Amino acid sequence: MTEERTRGGTAGVEAPVVLEMRGVTKAFGPVKANDGVSITLGRGEILGLLGENGAGKSTLMKILYGLYSPDEGEVFVDGERAEIRDPKDAVSRGIGMVHQHFTLIPALTVAENIVLGAEPRKGATLDLAKAIKDTEELSERYGLRVDPRTRVADLSVGAQQRVEILKALYRKARILVLDEPTAVLTPQETEDLFSVLKELVADGLSIILITHKLGELLGISNRITIIRDGKVVETVEASGTDEGALARLMVGREVLLRVEKTEAKVGGPRLSAEGLVVLSGAGAKAVDGIGLEVRGGEILGIAGVDGNGQTELAEALAGTRPAESGLVRLDGEDVTRVGANGRQGRGLAYVPEDRGAKGLVQDFSLSENNALKTYDEAPFSKWGWIFPKAMRRRAAEALRAYDVRPPDPDARAGSLSGGNQQKAVLARELSGDPGVIIAAQPTRGVDVGAIEFIHRQLLEQRARGKAILLISLELEEVRSLSDRVAVIYDGRIVGEVGPDATDEELGLLMAGRTGGEKDA
Amino acid sequence: MSSRLRRALVDAGGALVFPLIAIVLSFVLGAFIVLATGNNPLTAYAALVRGAVGSPTAIGRTLLGATPLIFTGLAVAVAFRAGLFNIGGEGQLYIGAITAAWLGVTLGFLGALSIPIVLLACVVTGFLWGAIPGILKARFGAHEVITTIMLNYIGIYLTTYLALKPLRTEGLVPGTDAIDFAARIPFIGLGLGRANYGFLLALVAAVVAYLLLWRTGRGFQIRAVGLSPGAANYAGMGIGANTVLALAIGGAFAAIGGGVEVLGVYGKMTVPFVTGLGFNGIGVALLGRNHPAGVVLGALLFGGLASGAQEMQFSTDVPLQLTSVLLAVILLLVTATKLVELLFGKRARALAGARLEKGLG
Repeated sequence: MTEERTRGGTAGVEAPVVLEMRGVTKAFGPVKANDGVSITLGRGEILGLLGENGAGKSTLMKILYGLYSPDEGEVFVDGERAEIRDPKDAVSRGIGMVHQHFTLIPALTVAENIVLGAEPRKGATLDLAKAIKDTEELSERYGLRVDPRTRVADLSVGAQQRVEILKALYRKARILVLDEPTAVLTPQETEDLFSVLKELVADGLSIILITHKLGELLGISNRITIIRDGKVVETVEASGTDEGALARLMVGREVLLRVEKTEAKVGGPRLSAEGLVVLSGAGAKAVDGIGLEVRGGEILGIAGVDGNGQTELAEALAGTRPAESGLVRLDGEDVTRVGANGRQGRGLAYVPEDRGAKGLVQDFSLSENNALKTYDEAPFSKWGWIFPKAMRRRAAEALRAYDVRPPDPDARAGSLSGGNQQKAVLARELSGDPGVIIAAQPTRGVDVGAIEFIHRQLLEQRARGKAILLISLELEEVRSLSDRVAVIYDGRIVGEVGPDATDEELGLLMAGRTGGEKDA
Repeated sequence: MSSRLRRALVDAGGALVFPLIAIVLSFVLGAFIVLATGNNPLTAYAALVRGAVGSPTAIGRTLLGATPLIFTGLAVAVAFRAGLFNIGGEGQLYIGAITAAWLGVTLGFLGALSIPIVLLACVVTGFLWGAIPGILKARFGAHEVITTIMLNYIGIYLTTYLALKPLRTEGLVPGTDAIDFAARIPFIGLGLGRANYGFLLALVAAVVAYLLLWRTGRGFQIRAVGLSPGAANYAGMGIGANTVLALAIGGAFAAIGGGVEVLGVYGKMTVPFVTGLGFNGIGVALLGRNHPAGVVLGALLFGGLASGAQEMQFSTDVPLQLTSVLLAVILLLVTATKLVELLFGKRARALAGARLEKGLG
């Protein structure tokens, strides 16, 4: 084996290579999620791993962490060939992973979570004092502010993420992988995170940062490896590129990053809520007295950090979750006591944030999914019988109109990519010519090409005088599509701004205007 | 069109592959057991097949055994499509049996005309009985596995009490009065022995179950709730109502099974009554992958093995219980998809195992 260190890309690595993945191939059935992927990571480097959803970034990292075994390819840590069969192997090689969905136990304290599985012991019992001391030391050393004695359940999302990072550091990670770490953060929290990461690499750690957000990689990473369709397209120096070039590499064609919006022709109020209170599944007040009004021909954006009541708000407006108190009006009619079915019948379309578990029945065919709400109406149904043929015909039209690939009404919904699943949801929701549209995170986990398409569809509906409520965690999306932006924090609307508000302005509102966060 | 047909065939083929592999493997394993008992596996299996399908009488016996299992299998399958495990087939069958035993005698004067009325009454009592665990689940969150198991005892002892006390006859065999022959389900004839038209009713029931699940709006809802409660709720379908209905409909199927046993086979409800039909229905549904067509095939296999076992025991020294072992191994293999993966590699499991695994998850 000769020295072929930088086969994966065009940009060289000056620092000693701490990690190399060489020719990694992993297939799931006929689909190659990774096809001969090679990456290198130098000491003290932040490598951005950029790609659309489903491009194979996560698969590659799961292989690195021992969650998948590759069909082909090798991993070298510090120039030494590493057999990584499970996460334990990965940890012993100094690889740490911060997953997109945290793996913390809410009922335990920060220190307990951090040492879990690698507990310092005093005889047969846990040495809690040492755990707390170790945690404090680590936390101080890297500026990861967090109180070891607090219960994780009481921490903000940003603080929980710091605990995840500490967990990896406690296990002596020298290579840290972060999977979409900024998805759950406010702009300020993102900045905090990035300054911590800079601190870590200054200390000699190496970081792989997975994201599909173009902008943030430019500011923080040294090099960026772009993956498309399971293959490495290119590795570029962050300093020598820009968003447009990255988007082109990522999608494989020119992408419109800015949406073009026509002047709003605002009509009368169509969807409104007054003093709406909604309980979460756990019984807490997730929505705590929200009033809002969406008029025809406009998009009202709801910005906010995940978990501030967005889900419950959308569900209560759509009628899939009961309102504890308050009013919901649809075209002037009080529909608070009307179920989801009735609201659909009155022209309300709802694109739920969780297409996997709510928007689609994964094991239904696309034609069944297309009729998920209208299966009991003509022409799909008569006298309680349903007509699969009619469903199939209508679905074929809708799938073609919304560019769902494959446009096969018999295909299982779960077999489609995220973007195509979302287009299938959109096809169902919008083809009924609704008057009011609630779109909750319509582009979450969707590739850039599909995002473009979905945004165009929403703007087209706006141009046709529909009232649209857009709930999104992506600030850029809210800002570029909305006519007005309301910020939700802790179940309340804490402010309304125009779409040209600055990041700082929005960020402060998203953090509840307190400027700081709930650090214990 | 042809591609859809091909897909349907591939689907059906895929669904059959695993049960068939399981059956073959279990017979191979069974051969060793037969050898261990000092018998020739070939003669034993020849007798088994002869006893199952070797003559019109044998076929009749197989059909007779399969009939109630189709009903109880459907009871499990329909509920399963709503994501529910109906373990209550046994009790539901007893409820149907006592209904038929009581009404069959009471309405006996109507002759054959009473049969549809009695069976309809079984549908009603089975439906209501089956709805109980559904309501308990929808209203109070009680897990249907626990409640259906418990309701089995209540059903069995309640009907036993009714058959022994209020409806007790004077005869030697404890149980209810015998139903007039004119009011019983007639034999098919054709040399099929005691096989009665109940088997055809079972086939009709399977078709009804299929139409209900795949051709009605209600079935659409039940399947949506079973596959994704979140999406069903999102689409405005009532989870609770569908839970109650799916279990109630399952109860109705099992109860007709009990009614058919009484009207077609025993003519009364004896104490003790035939046992295990409800529980074997779970195996039948599992083997049939909770599809009505699969349930029919599964029930025929169960019926055939039971019928063949008698012949096997008669002409060799192999005990009846061997067929229980065979069935157990078949079910083990059908459900243990990981084991199949070990034996045949991942591809085979991906082909047919994934769906089942998901269903059981």
